Amino acid sequence: MSTIVAHELTQRFGAELALDGIDFVLDKGEHLAVLGENGAGKTTLLRILSTAVRPTSGSLQIFGLDALRERTRLRARIGFVGHAPGLYPALSTAENLEFFCSLQGVDRARVAETLALVGLSHAARRPAGRLSRGEQQRLAIGRAVLHDPRLLVLDEPDASLDSGGPDLLAKVMLGRSAVLATHDRALANRLCQRTLVLRAGRALGAATRLRVVR
Amino acid sequence: MTRAVAVAFAVARKDLTSEWRTRELVPALGQFVVLALVIANFGFQIDSQNAPAIAPGVLWLALVFAGLVAFGRAFAAEREQASLEAMLLTPAPAAAIFAGKALAAGLLLIACEVVLLPALALFFGTPLNFALVAAVLVATIGMAALGCLFAAMVARVRAREVLLPLLTLPLWIPFIIAGGQAVQVAMGATGNYNQAVALLVDFDILFVVLTSLAARFVLDD
Amino acid sequence: MTKYYRAAAAAAALMVVAAGAIFLFSPTDALQGPVQRIFYLHVSSAIAAYGCFGVVLVGGAAYLRNESATGDRLARAGALVGLVFTTVTLVMGMLWAKPIWGTFWTWDARLTSTLVLWIIYAGYLLVRRLAEPGRQAARFAAVVGIFGFIDVPVVHFSVTWWRTVHPGPVIINDALPPQMLMTFLLTMACTLVLAGVMIAIRYRIETLMDQAPLAGAVRAIVHSEPAR
Repeated sequence: MSTIVAHELTQRFGAELALDGIDFVLDKGEHLAVLGENGAGKTTLLRILSTAVRPTSGSLQIFGLDALRERTRLRARIGFVGHAPGLYPALSTAENLEFFCSLQGVDRARVAETLALVGLSHAARRPAGRLSRGEQQRLAIGRAVLHDPRLLVLDEPDASLDSGGPDLLAKVMLGRSAVLATHDRALANRLCQRTLVLRAGRALGAATRLRVVR
Repeated sequence: MTRAVAVAFAVARKDLTSEWRTRELVPALGQFVVLALVIANFGFQIDSQNAPAIAPGVLWLALVFAGLVAFGRAFAAEREQASLEAMLLTPAPAAAIFAGKALAAGLLLIACEVVLLPALALFFGTPLNFALVAAVLVATIGMAALGCLFAAMVARVRAREVLLPLLTLPLWIPFIIAGGQAVQVAMGATGNYNQAVALLVDFDILFVVLTSLAARFVLDD
Repeated sequence: MTKYYRAAAAAAALMVVAAGAIFLFSPTDALQGPVQRIFYLHVSSAIAAYGCFGVVLVGGAAYLRNESATGDRLARAGALVGLVFTTVTLVMGMLWAKPIWGTFWTWDARLTSTLVLWIIYAGYLLVRRLAEPGRQAARFAAVVGIFGFIDVPVVHFSVTWWRTVHPGPVIINDALPPQMLMTFLLTMACTLVLAGVMIAIRYRIETLMDQAPLAGAVRAIVHSEPAR
């Protein structure tokens, strides 16, 4: 059973056509890179895959479930990192994660593990608003894996990460299926096996194997 | 069910902790209501004769505007939008998240009322008794539920500052009618206090149930 | 298009018939004089307006339940037509009130709840316009429509309750002699038909507007084919 089966995904905002009939399949454990210029539709596609929004038309199956109907069940198994970190600046790093533990229904012990995983144990008590942009992004990534999801959907996670970023991404993506949107072809090369290139809402060809550029 | 309650309390605690640490909203609301009373004093040309008659109206006007600000804030900040989505992308039910936010916003408005009612008693010479406090508290519950639902809606829409009062006030009218009566009686006029408060409780139940059912259509796609 | 023109003409003709009944058939009221004749259209409009709001409610609920595009379009049509009828109700009410009661406005249950109805409709249409077009606008508007529909009787009830403590300056007497009653029922029926036709026409317009993105492509195809 494939992790994701997307068929003819289309997204309209009024008269604007953001996505036009996207098809692709993601197998278990595979990492797919979504490439394209700004405005090509990468974020729109990833938000649909994360179940944050529903497409105007098309079908989407994740873990064999209809992603348009079973969103609550799927959300426990998907981790999403979007453009904005969406953290609570007045709460500490650890408190942010503890709060999401309550929402996810996972044990508090996961907080310490996750902080260690993303390298923020030293900042556990610091208010999230006083983290650097790179640290905030690490926290957002930590939140995305707090509940040990089987699928990660990452929208340009490398954009504000500091130098250890790619290693961190490799670590969290290990053993999970992942869809990663990025501008950085080298990163896509390193972390993903296949690519999907978007231009003006359409896919350029089927998802192909990346050629590794040496 | 207990998970939903736990989620609601977690969300409320998160909002209240944030407010406690930043102390942004409550002091501003407190100052706002005091200023509203000052303006009312001059706008209505208050003296010891007309103060008892006008005070209930001033209370509700101040409360309505403070409420619009407080509930609007609950969902307004840009970062709230990304974090609201982060909350929704969990198994937590949307109605529970909504309940937590409404609970926190309601408590913040009550903190504002702690300033408003004594200030009103001080400036207008009106009594401050349990009946008055009870009436205002009961009305706050339903008003918080409605205010937060529409605040969640307009947070994602243009011209939100204009749209929030337009949508919320028609639904607050029954609360102001019954609450106005209850407050007036508590301040010494004749009338039926018990009936008024019973009506407020009925409205609370009706709108808390309705908003809980509507929450997932408003918060989630 | 012809059937809509025909329906509109029929509805208009019915309204002329109703007007005839109002001015020729119905007797002049002993107490109020000719001004009383406003009452027929005023009350009919009010009933039509609330009926339109019922359409908004049903359409919105259908949309929330299963994303029915028909339901959403029906709600849009009902809201616009209903706002028109509510405006008519309020204006005619004020025109009638001034000579009869000596004042344009009084805060009684009916006037207050009609005013609230107008404000809620206006809010509904604003939300439609300002929200993200498509699903979000339809969802939010449906919620506003449902809450609004429930709010109007709640407001009506609250003001009635309040009026027992604060009696108003006027009492409304609804007793009607048979000729007046017949005129009223006829006018109400004609007005409801008019409302129905207006909703149907507006529904068609909304359907066409929904299909507009395709219209450009269709036009291009149509213009490239030889004319018939």
